[in-house]
Amino acid sequence: MGISVKGLVKQYAGKPVVDHIDFEIADGELVSLLGPSGCGKTTTLRCIAGLETPESGRIAIDGEVVFDADSGVVVEPYHRNIGMVFQSYAIWPHMTVFENVAFPLRVRRMAAADIERRVGRALERVGLGAFHDRSSQQLSGGQQQRVAVARAIVHEPAVLLFDEPLSNLDARLRDQTRAEIRQLQRELRVSTIYVTHDQTEALSLSDRILVMHDGRIRQLGTPEAIYARPNDMFVAEVVGAANFFDVTVDDRGAATDTSGATFHTAFAPPGSGPARALIRPDKLLIGPDPGGDLGPNRLRGTVRQRLFMGGYYEYVVETRLASPRVLSSAEFAEKAQVVLSFDSGDCIFLLKE
Amino acid sequence: MSGARSLAFNNQRSGWLIQAIFGTTFLVTAFLIITPLAALLHGSFQTGSPGMPTVFTWKNWADLGSGNIIHTLLITCFISVVTSVFSTIGGAGLTWLVYRSDFRFKRSLVAAVGLSFFFPGFILAMAWVILASPGGIFNDVLDELFGIEWLQFDIYSVGGIIWIQVLHIIPFAFFTLRGPMISMDSSLEEAGYISGANPWAVVRRITLPLMIFPLLSSLLLCFVLSVEQFAIPAMVGIPGHVNTLATELYLLTSFSPPNTGLAASVGLAMSAVTGLSILFQRQIIRRHNAPTVTGRGYRVRPMTLGPWRAVANGVCLFYVAMSFIIPALALIYTSGIKFFVANPFEAAWTWRNYLQIWDSPGTIRAFWNTLVVAGGGAVLGLTLGTLIAWFTHRLRPRGYRVLDALASLPFGIPGIVIGLGFLWSYVYLPIYGTLLVLVFCYVARFLPYATETVGAQVVQLDKALEEAAWVSGANRLASFRRIILPLLRPTLQSGYFLLFIAYFREIAAAALLYTASTQVLSISIWAFFENANWGVASALSIVATVITVTLMATVMRAPLKV
Repeated sequence: MGISVKGLVKQYAGKPVVDHIDFEIADGELVSLLGPSGCGKTTTLRCIAGLETPESGRIAIDGEVVFDADSGVVVEPYHRNIGMVFQSYAIWPHMTVFENVAFPLRVRRMAAADIERRVGRALERVGLGAFHDRSSQQLSGGQQQRVAVARAIVHEPAVLLFDEPLSNLDARLRDQTRAEIRQLQRELRVSTIYVTHDQTEALSLSDRILVMHDGRIRQLGTPEAIYARPNDMFVAEVVGAANFFDVTVDDRGAATDTSGATFHTAFAPPGSGPARALIRPDKLLIGPDPGGDLGPNRLRGTVRQRLFMGGYYEYVVETRLASPRVLSSAEFAEKAQVVLSFDSGDCIFLLKE
Repeated sequence: MSGARSLAFNNQRSGWLIQAIFGTTFLVTAFLIITPLAALLHGSFQTGSPGMPTVFTWKNWADLGSGNIIHTLLITCFISVVTSVFSTIGGAGLTWLVYRSDFRFKRSLVAAVGLSFFFPGFILAMAWVILASPGGIFNDVLDELFGIEWLQFDIYSVGGIIWIQVLHIIPFAFFTLRGPMISMDSSLEEAGYISGANPWAVVRRITLPLMIFPLLSSLLLCFVLSVEQFAIPAMVGIPGHVNTLATELYLLTSFSPPNTGLAASVGLAMSAVTGLSILFQRQIIRRHNAPTVTGRGYRVRPMTLGPWRAVANGVCLFYVAMSFIIPALALIYTSGIKFFVANPFEAAWTWRNYLQIWDSPGTIRAFWNTLVVAGGGAVLGLTLGTLIAWFTHRLRPRGYRVLDALASLPFGIPGIVIGLGFLWSYVYLPIYGTLLVLVFCYVARFLPYATETVGAQVVQLDKALEEAAWVSGANRLASFRRIILPLLRPTLQSGYFLLFIAYFREIAAAALLYTASTQVLSISIWAFFENANWGVASALSIVATVITVTLMATVMRAPLKV
């Protein structure tokens, strides 16, 4: 059930854009495809929708094989039971809001009364109950986005596909709509793939995140796991802000940097030798410098920059070898001497790339 | 990321139908474009005329170097260079007035330029013969009313040809330049003002340099239009013994003894000139794409004309008067009098000329022929153009570049040359003397009109609109019918009328291809005019103009908006 993708390869002009990808999405699960532009996330989505035909691999939606290169199965997009929200929304300008949303039902030759009822319900769901007869050209960007969502869910598809649906909205609307999409997906319990390059969207929306780079999967896991324990530096930087410290890992799994500070981790290190220690800005604790000799997991530094962010401060602290960012509600003046400390459970060693 | 390859061609099961349509489109296009060119090439190596006994010869190509042809070539180039320079200056001036200054009558000016744009060249030329030939209205007025004998106009001259062509081509330059002018980022000019430059300095040091490539492109297009121009040099050049390549080609073909072989080599040489210019122009457009566009919707602060306002008003009024109002009045006047006299108070007014149109079976026939060729041919031309645009901009199957190149070829080939090509194709295509040959010729000649008009809209059409329909469950046919077609409809409508009007007034190709039974309206007007029957020619011109302008006003409103 859900969506299953096996050995998916899609090439443009001989270059693989999607390069042997495998993943499974459970029933009712929301998985984000996250990565920089050109990483193959949109192409993967379009292969699932049937808008691109892959070179090889196998795709099943809700247990039904919709693409299989080996047996030559290619199900047309209009025969796959899917709903999709496009980045540009793709609202048909020559139709009213009602007709836009009714379209998937009309092409399925549903009875007029049923269409009326289901379109009404879909529009209610996205908060556009009063917009039936509005021309689609009189809509704001946010309203168009809602119409696109209503059109994608009206025929109760087996899967929902979102292609960067919030990237054309302004920041406030984006936050609100994000929450609504999450709510809607929970209510409908429909398997969903959500393509985005925005880490905040991916972290807040997803059951699991699939991080892609150069057509390959870098990591697949829950937002918490990916944030706390990224597989590599690329994933660490794609998901959330990251502070890196150059260290050398010894045989017992502890690390020191060239200034003599020691880093301990609660996780198994990738091996001994040069590595980078990752500590998230919210996991670095800032405190006054007590003077004297510092123990492990402590760094001495000077506040170089202080930005008031509303509920908290964002500091740039210059240590001897790095200038990490630190989030804290405690107040320190610029140029103050401070000590940064962290828990072994918040420090992870990654191989240098 | 959107893929360059389309769904349709990745999918073998439904691909074959589209492949078949593509194949047909390709073959029809190749047939229409290559037929006349191949025939011309063949003809340029023949001693006789099409259908006559003939042998192979190099003479036609050798004769290109004869003094007569070289002289004609130089005259053509001179006329065309001067025409293109003045037309571009005029067009740029009008564009600047409308989109960058606080000129008061912007709307009226754009409407007037639009009117002149649709005023057929051969009718304009005719009106100017009536106005400024040695026995015409201007000279009569000067001579008899004011007694000024030293100032005499002679439209039958190089200067006359240039004058009418500039009037005729300025609207074209205007419409080519207004796109770049509108889309040019106005903040670049505003930054100039902020930096302390006065308005003239901004025009000189910012606007002009930014517009240099559009201006160059306009210059080349106007040059090509002028080289191609047949009607104007035919009507005022032939009587004055001033020949351009286009009229030379016509004379070689239509007067005995005909030298159709030399005409073919002249035509090919002419196409080389225009084709290279168009190639160069396309390079410019491609390399130096519209200067710095950001769609911010802010309007640049219009430049204050101040004391120059009166000058601007005067120049515009003069242009509108010369290019449309006075010629139209002259035609109306001539169509309503019995015998031509310059002084309206001595004229005998009559409806005779109009009535004569309906009494002449040949003319009625020409009306029907024109309707069939323009009305029916435009359906064909538009269908082909739409298919080509769809294939080259959207589906892009293997070979689409060749199709694109074929379809844009007529841009660089003068109408009379394509006409001559179809005349030569008589050798192996037995359609000469039918309306079909006119339809084929027009479809080929104006194919770029159709592909460019529809193509511009297809490019604008978000691909996701169609994909959204597929994902919603509509198959290809249904999504084409319910999504694509309704969205393209306005463009198809205006494309149809653009072609209709172009076919309606085409005269160059028709001059070579018509026979007694396939005469069209433009030829009838010319024939009446040549027979010194100015009255009927004017009456017929007015009827034709009214038809064109009415069509334009009802359907083509869009391009006239400021």
